[in-house]
Amino acid sequence: MSAAAVKVELKPGAYKSGLKPVWCPGCGDFGVLNALYRAMAKLQIEPADTVILSGIGCSSRLPGYVKTYGFNGVHGRALTLATGVKVARPELTVIAVGGDGDGLAIGGNHLIHSCRRNLDILYILMDNEIYGLTKGQVAPTTPTGDKTKSTFWGNPEPSVDPCELAISTGATWVARGFSGDMKHLTEMIVDGILHNGFSFLNVMSPCVTWRGDDQFKVMKAKLNHLPEDYDPSRRANAVKYTREKDKITTGILYEVESPSLTDRLEDIKERAMAGNGSPSTKEMLESFYPSF
Amino acid sequence: MPTRDLTFAIVGSGGDGVITTGDMLAQAGASVGLHVMKVEAYGPQIRGGESSCTVRVSADPIYAQGDLVQVLVVFNWADFGQFRGEILAAPDAVVFYEETDDTPREEIDLGPETDDVRWVPVPFIELAKESAGTKLAKNIVTLGLLAELFSLPQEPIERAIEGKFSKKKAGVLEANLKGFEAGKAHASKIADAAAGKRLQYTPGEPMLLMSGNELSAVAALHAGCRFFAGYPITPSSEVLHLLSELMPKVGGYLVQTEDELAAIGAVIGGSFAGVKSMTATSGPGLALMTEMLGLASMAEIPAVIINVQRGGPSTGLPTKSEQSDLWQALWGSHGDAPRVVLAPADVEDCFHATVAAFNIAEEAQVPVIVLSDQFIAQRRETLSMLTLDHEVTGRQVPSAGDLREYKRYKETKSGISPMSWPGMKGGEYQTNGLEHTEDGSPTSMFLTHEKMNAKRYRKLRRVRDKYSFYRRYGAEKADVGIICWGSSKGPVKEAVLNANGRGERVAAFVPQLLYPFPYHEFQDFIKTVREVIVVELSYSAQFYKYLQTFLELPEGHTYVYKRSGGKNLTVAEVEDKIKKVLEMSALRREVLV
Repeated sequence: MSAAAVKVELKPGAYKSGLKPVWCPGCGDFGVLNALYRAMAKLQIEPADTVILSGIGCSSRLPGYVKTYGFNGVHGRALTLATGVKVARPELTVIAVGGDGDGLAIGGNHLIHSCRRNLDILYILMDNEIYGLTKGQVAPTTPTGDKTKSTFWGNPEPSVDPCELAISTGATWVARGFSGDMKHLTEMIVDGILHNGFSFLNVMSPCVTWRGDDQFKVMKAKLNHLPEDYDPSRRANAVKYTREKDKITTGILYEVESPSLTDRLEDIKERAMAGNGSPSTKEMLESFYPSF
Repeated sequence: MPTRDLTFAIVGSGGDGVITTGDMLAQAGASVGLHVMKVEAYGPQIRGGESSCTVRVSADPIYAQGDLVQVLVVFNWADFGQFRGEILAAPDAVVFYEETDDTPREEIDLGPETDDVRWVPVPFIELAKESAGTKLAKNIVTLGLLAELFSLPQEPIERAIEGKFSKKKAGVLEANLKGFEAGKAHASKIADAAAGKRLQYTPGEPMLLMSGNELSAVAALHAGCRFFAGYPITPSSEVLHLLSELMPKVGGYLVQTEDELAAIGAVIGGSFAGVKSMTATSGPGLALMTEMLGLASMAEIPAVIINVQRGGPSTGLPTKSEQSDLWQALWGSHGDAPRVVLAPADVEDCFHATVAAFNIAEEAQVPVIVLSDQFIAQRRETLSMLTLDHEVTGRQVPSAGDLREYKRYKETKSGISPMSWPGMKGGEYQTNGLEHTEDGSPTSMFLTHEKMNAKRYRKLRRVRDKYSFYRRYGAEKADVGIICWGSSKGPVKEAVLNANGRGERVAAFVPQLLYPFPYHEFQDFIKTVREVIVVELSYSAQFYKYLQTFLELPEGHTYVYKRSGGKNLTVAEVEDKIKKVLEMSALRREVLV
């Protein structure tokens, strides 16, 4: 019997890298990491065929804790790295992760364009409404008026709803999760990985250090689920659940089918290679002889 | 008396067909085996504005643009005025100008020595209207005139006209062919104008006619590049354009990203995933990529960046050449970030430098910058297919043994650790912009940082030992030795060969590997020369100052010739400096004796 025939089932623990997370006790990101282990086990994802990429921030440390190929890059650029990996190697499972500052402030432009391109990856944005690693400055998702290290007199700026941004710029799967709701979050991650196109998962992930140690309680009290008969195929439905103040509604807000960047590039390749196949260097050069 | 070497320049407004004329001249020359170099220059306008095209055609190999124009065609003197100091007429040039443009002669600056210039008014507009029914055909009239007067290959030019206009609506081709005939007919009325300037050559096999950017694109594919990410920027965009056509044909992928940050990020991602990846940009784009050059250096990920220099800083002179991104390429960095910098010295070199850049990037797992410039990237010149081949190498893959307990950043003597990529079981690791241990885990320990810095820099030794790209021209023992880099090589080489022809002992050293520098080869050169001239197009003398950081240039015997870019280096400038330094050297010996 060949070795390949015996497929050992991978348990969630099999995806642990062995490196101990640097996160504070009580950090919401532990919930996301555990849900990710479970989702990967549920899908029996092959670690060697998976790449997890991040930028910089507390949550961006996550790739190091998963036993796959991992890339902890530079601030704000997780999606640029993920674009290269996915486009160059379309057969790989690619997951980008990071925080709200990383993905919405310094990396905001890349989020817009990854949504627009319908890049076929899952992007998990761990939203704690604050800059954690740099110790407590205001972020694009910090509510207006909140006092932080860098807003002594209260946050003077309106915040952004990441899901609304993703929907309006072309993401084809947009969901919200809560790091304190493991079962639901695992389902969201599974679904996001399986979706063909850009899957944007905004996870409310409390920072107990810089947003107060009761953040879990505060968020849990606001937790709400989408109604049973919710139709995620319409933007108008989805935006009813964005910019919420008193609630945090979790679930798949928006989901449509549309060709992913991979689909479109494969189509180009097929058209370009039709007929003659791949030209040699000599053939490419020969096209530069004067031709009249 | 006929000549074997002629330089034409055509100047007018956008819409005058100046570039088309130059293209057809160049194509026709290349098709009969003549050596051709074609340079375009414009103002920064998108449409309209001044434009010029200089075409040098020679029966013998050429290395420079042709300083002085022997045949000048001016449709409009106001446009010519925009190129003052850039397009200079030879003392005995023949100047064909639009008859109806009555700009007084004293307002026209053709250059410093133009007493014997032949001024020939031509009714370009009238001839075009009469023959082709539209003044738009005046460039085709010009082609007829030039072809007949200077014995250019007429049949290929006619075929080029047919090729260009045969797909247009009925009558357009016929009209243009009439314009061509009208130009030829007018030539017979002014035949004396071409005295001494008829081109003499023996037709040969067709040559390739390519720009440095086009060659870089093909070279990347030759090297096995299968992913390109880039953002448009003058003067590098032709690399993006050509690869958008060719990349999918060879089974690869291309993305035009939202900015240069995303371009270099995607390149690093593609390369991490095991696919040879490249981007192309110019100075302002390289500035945006600088942070992630540090990432590629730290995470030891191969990456090839073609940087086509233009006048700077900031938007600067986007359409013109300069050699002032040198420091940025060498040292633009936070932290100690080893990279390799290569500089092609001519169009053909763009092929070899680009393939070598991939080889070095993959072998040493470093970012490699190919420091090209507008002058070699956008000019078109004739090339022989025979010279365009280059060995391709790849990255060191982990063995089965390595993968049993894989350490991505394993300490090795060379500093190079075998590199796995996704899909390889057992090769999983986390790469990191953070300082990391041998297995890739983040650390802030001083001892690890010191050890890993040493490992990353050690890789450059191997690059220096294996790749000592440089060129050396001229006398083995020389009174004057010129050191230059990049596109300055062309005029310098021509000046050196001219000097050698006069019996002067002059030589040149042109490093194509700028970092790590071919130190030993340079020392061998410097021992054989008496006086040194460093030549470059950088106002602040970046190259000279770079050399000074690690070389002892002969004290009291080193001269620097530097100026801003915006105008390509000329042979005459270099010859003038050679002459002055030779005189200085002779004087010094006289005094000392």
